[in-house]
Amino acid sequence: MNNRGGVASSLFEREGFRLAVIKEISTVASVAMPLGENWTVSRCRYSPEDGGGARLCIATGIHGDEMMGQLVIYAIAQRIMKEPEHLHGVVDMYPMLNPIGLDMGERLVPFSTRLDMNRAFPGVPDGTPLEAMCYSIMQDMLGADLVLDIHAGTMKKSELYQVRMHETTAERMLSGAADLCPQLIWYVPNKPAFNATLTGALNAAGTLALVLEADERRRRPYVTTPAVIEGIFCKMKAMGIWSGETIAPRRLEDIPMVRSEEELCRVSATKPGVYVPENCTGREVERGQLLGIVIDALNGEKVEEILAPAAGLVFSQRSYSAVYPGTLLARLCRKERV
Amino acid sequence: MKKDVIFTVESYFRDDMNIMGYRFGKGEKSCVVLGALRGDEVQQLYVCARLVAFLREIERDGGIMPGKSVMVVPTAIGLSMNTGSRLWAPENMDINRRFPGDAQGATTERIAAALFDKLKAYKYGVQLTSFYQPGSFVPHVRMMETGRQNPELGCEFGLPYVYVRTPRISDQTTLNYCWQMAGTQAYSLYAGKTQEIDEAAADQTLRAIIRFLNGRGVIRSDMTPGQKSAVITNEDIMTVASKSAGLLRRVKHAGAHVRRGEQLAFVINPQDGAVREVLKTPATGMLFFMQDGPFVTENSPVFQILSK
Repeated sequence: MNNRGGVASSLFEREGFRLAVIKEISTVASVAMPLGENWTVSRCRYSPEDGGGARLCIATGIHGDEMMGQLVIYAIAQRIMKEPEHLHGVVDMYPMLNPIGLDMGERLVPFSTRLDMNRAFPGVPDGTPLEAMCYSIMQDMLGADLVLDIHAGTMKKSELYQVRMHETTAERMLSGAADLCPQLIWYVPNKPAFNATLTGALNAAGTLALVLEADERRRRPYVTTPAVIEGIFCKMKAMGIWSGETIAPRRLEDIPMVRSEEELCRVSATKPGVYVPENCTGREVERGQLLGIVIDALNGEKVEEILAPAAGLVFSQRSYSAVYPGTLLARLCRKERV
Repeated sequence: MKKDVIFTVESYFRDDMNIMGYRFGKGEKSCVVLGALRGDEVQQLYVCARLVAFLREIERDGGIMPGKSVMVVPTAIGLSMNTGSRLWAPENMDINRRFPGDAQGATTERIAAALFDKLKAYKYGVQLTSFYQPGSFVPHVRMMETGRQNPELGCEFGLPYVYVRTPRISDQTTLNYCWQMAGTQAYSLYAGKTQEIDEAAADQTLRAIIRFLNGRGVIRSDMTPGQKSAVITNEDIMTVASKSAGLLRRVKHAGAHVRRGEQLAFVINPQDGAVREVLKTPATGMLFFMQDGPFVTENSPVFQILSK
């Protein structure tokens, strides 16, 4: 593919409508590699011909092992091009923030000592290629009305579709988060590591940004992505960017919420082995209900029964895989606070 | 010498990983030295192994001062060292980005929490560490500017430079930063290479640690005097980055004195050998850092020049 560099514009016009959509692919940042290849972060902008309106940025692929955002961005682009008359604002899509990681299925940036791109923001203009890349991405997104950073539970986790917000900015963004129609909203605790993430750095710089997390399930992407796609269109409608048909926004009071550590229940393995999960993601469980078992195949023994420590909604669950003591197996939104 | 198991990570497919602490002397927790936190920090492990051997000998000869104790933790990531993975392979995580840790958290957070719980009890902390880029440094002591740093004490290692660096946001979860915030006088020592053993740099680092322990009254051992250290900051360091990508052919190496305009390296086309760029020093000074990988990407920092 060589349609990532430079600027390419296309008009999508439907007969009988005055407005058209301008599609513009541009390069946000690019670094030459030793053997004739560029490490390029590209943006595809969809905007109405008459300009104006709010601006939404949708980013994904910062972790190269998270593929879910590819289909989400594709589907959004398809609908915009199919219904151009409904676009009244700017939608900037960044489908491949870590393109080489995506190519290799590698979470980190696969250069040098392998670094987590989502711990390198806000970046610096004259730093390493990664730092300069992060800086350019930040500069490109600053000033947007909203930035959505789409993640996915890696191949080892399944997740409900959720909005994650930093607890320091959560109250300000709460009502707007409901427009995304998530299955859960989570206030992520204030840890120093968050400040070096894309959303953390953008929020610190005054641009509202949210993380969308959803299920990976590579074998069945059409099962898990529609909720995210519909949620984003619903949000676009609330922002005045989209006038097409969307689902109705969810009422805030209907969305399960984890607002503090007291409302969150983490379940971890205490013994090493192989985790065999029950199908609990998205289900309400009672205290003591079986979430899965840890097995020892060599001895033919069950090492540990993983029971729900509290009643609540299972919104994150580890898949069938090897585990260590401390490996996160599930997250529950408690029915009752501790 | 006492051997403590600081933390055990039980494994299913492999043997359990024990993080070992080698303790010498009794009394005040004076100084702790930590080696590899990443699976490729071979030089750091090697220096610790030699330090343990040295302390074992001087303890036998009564060289640990009464009422003082010192601990050495050669590695906290043996499982990854066995497979050549820099990070904690099962989670793809850097343990040095997980401090102060969480005893109830993920495996790397538990490792960090268990380590930190032991390490923060010591008055002085020395971490042998590596840079996020592969390369060679002039051996130096480094610390972060947290408001609690003590560069004067860092001069007691007798290395030529004590580098006080302004922390970035992402540094707040490193051991050095958290250690200082918890009240330990924390120093990071850059000991030449990372993935291979550099005997000369290992000797120099070992002597620096022994000198520091002598100076702090923790041990008594004959040691040659060190160099007079200069305290430097970010403002004294200039970066030379490549504008082009390609193979890197160096003509100057870490430690060299260079004059303004002097050639440092050539970036060449990897297939036809044509010179794409000549890297030159913008100032007279010393090559403080040199990237030592075979390739460079565009805008890669290749050299750091100390020009004070």
